[in-house]
Amino acid sequence: MVDVVAAPLIALDRVGKTFKDGQVRALDDVSFSVGPGEFVSLVGPSGCGKTTLLRLMNGLLTPDSGRVTVDGKPPQPGPDLAMVFQSARLMPWRSVAGNIEFTLALRGYNRRESRDRAMALLGSVGLRDFAEAFPHELSGGMQQRVGLARALAVEPRVLLMDEPFAALDAMTREVLRNELLQMWSRRRMAIVFVTHDVDEAVLLSQRIVLLKPRPGRIDEIIPVDLPEPRWQHDPRGNKDFAAIRGHIWDRIRGMQKDGAPLEELAGAFPRGPVENG
Amino acid sequence: MAPSAAVARRRRERQVRLGWQVAALVALVAGMYALNAAAGKLVMPSPNDVVLASIKMWGDGSMLTGLGQTLTVLVLGFVISAVTGIIGGVLLGGFRRLGEILDPFVNAINATPGAAFIPLIIVWFGLYTEAKVVLVWNAAFFPILINTTAGVASTNRDLVEMARAFGASRVKLFWQVMLPDAIPSILSGLRIGAAVSTVGTVIAELTMAQSGLGGLLATAGNRFQMDKYFAVVIVLMILGTLITIALRFAERRLARWRVALNEER
Repeated sequence: MVDVVAAPLIALDRVGKTFKDGQVRALDDVSFSVGPGEFVSLVGPSGCGKTTLLRLMNGLLTPDSGRVTVDGKPPQPGPDLAMVFQSARLMPWRSVAGNIEFTLALRGYNRRESRDRAMALLGSVGLRDFAEAFPHELSGGMQQRVGLARALAVEPRVLLMDEPFAALDAMTREVLRNELLQMWSRRRMAIVFVTHDVDEAVLLSQRIVLLKPRPGRIDEIIPVDLPEPRWQHDPRGNKDFAAIRGHIWDRIRGMQKDGAPLEELAGAFPRGPVENG
Repeated sequence: MAPSAAVARRRRERQVRLGWQVAALVALVAGMYALNAAAGKLVMPSPNDVVLASIKMWGDGSMLTGLGQTLTVLVLGFVISAVTGIIGGVLLGGFRRLGEILDPFVNAINATPGAAFIPLIIVWFGLYTEAKVVLVWNAAFFPILINTTAGVASTNRDLVEMARAFGASRVKLFWQVMLPDAIPSILSGLRIGAAVSTVGTVIAELTMAQSGLGGLLATAGNRFQMDKYFAVVIVLMILGTLITIALRFAERRLARWRVALNEER
């Protein structure tokens, strides 16, 4: 296991979680840590508890066994551990700016400050002109940008992202990945990024936690040592990129041999707190 | 080019529709004349007499007095139903256990014809305004309660989880996420409630101490003054239509986003 040198910001210690009164084991003996400012991806076929891990790190869920700590304490849901979801989850009755102001109010900003801040953030994601628009008037990519702006507005120490680009078209996804990387190199909060897209994980993150399903366990933690900043040096032409990618795919094929069917075959995972699917 | 053609076509369709609507109205009035000529004024008053009766009743103040009495019962009954129905619905929808326990009772009372309670209401509350307001409340409360309950219970879980993840307290979660999310359901409950309130008001005025527009209906009907009777019916028709328009307007204002979502589909 590769560990970070600095004291970990998020630490998971032999975490286990079951659903449906213990009938379904979602996670078993998962340990890893995330350092301050680190970009870590959680990758694996569905049914390996990626989303459950994010919820545990936010504090929406508590582990049944083991410990999750953020800054040495059990996490409490709040603006410091901001979430970005697969669907933007904007409140349809609030304007775009209003949606961002909602989280700013939770952070304790007064009305005037939060207005200014919301406008500044919308500017930074290129949506200043849409501040008064309602979410349904925006495209999927724009909605997801607002979801990202809402999470960034509160200046979180950790950004927990649950397949944020999975529902977008390929071009929008590419643009948003780039924006995310630029934003991360400016602000350097820790990011935990859930995806089942291997290329995306290698492209974005510094470390990849590869999970295997039923119950969710760690298969391997893979360091991604590619030149930074990646939004300037697209690593996809790099030999190392291909090597890491190939290695991960080999591992996933290995899981398949172990009898764990991949994404398409894995409809059986319980609809507990699993996002959209 | 294409959009303006589409606009022109839509305008043309609107004109055709309006034309047919005017034709239907003319046919209706012509039918009244014909029935009046064939069967006499006891079966169908001449539209001319209805207009004259209207002018007379508005002139001597009897229509205005009646309308005032009706509106008092209607507005009081509706407002009390709205307040109690929304509060009750929020409780039943918000506290799932409570909602499940009370569900059969709510359904049973809602399924009982409202008129069945009239004798009981008379015994408990008498024959005057209070009793009429209670009757209206009894009719309008349940649609508002049931719609509010459904709206609050079926709150968008994704949004609730989002708000919780960002640290929203239970109070904030309720006021800023669950309640706004339920507003479209609450408004449709209010719309049904308002329609039922109008019916309930007239039934109360007919069956309890006669008053208001319902009372005028009963008096005119009992004396076979069908011209007066139709004059009152027209006022009730306009009143009902205005209430519906007002509520649809409120729905557009308060649930603008939902209206827009529906129009897109």
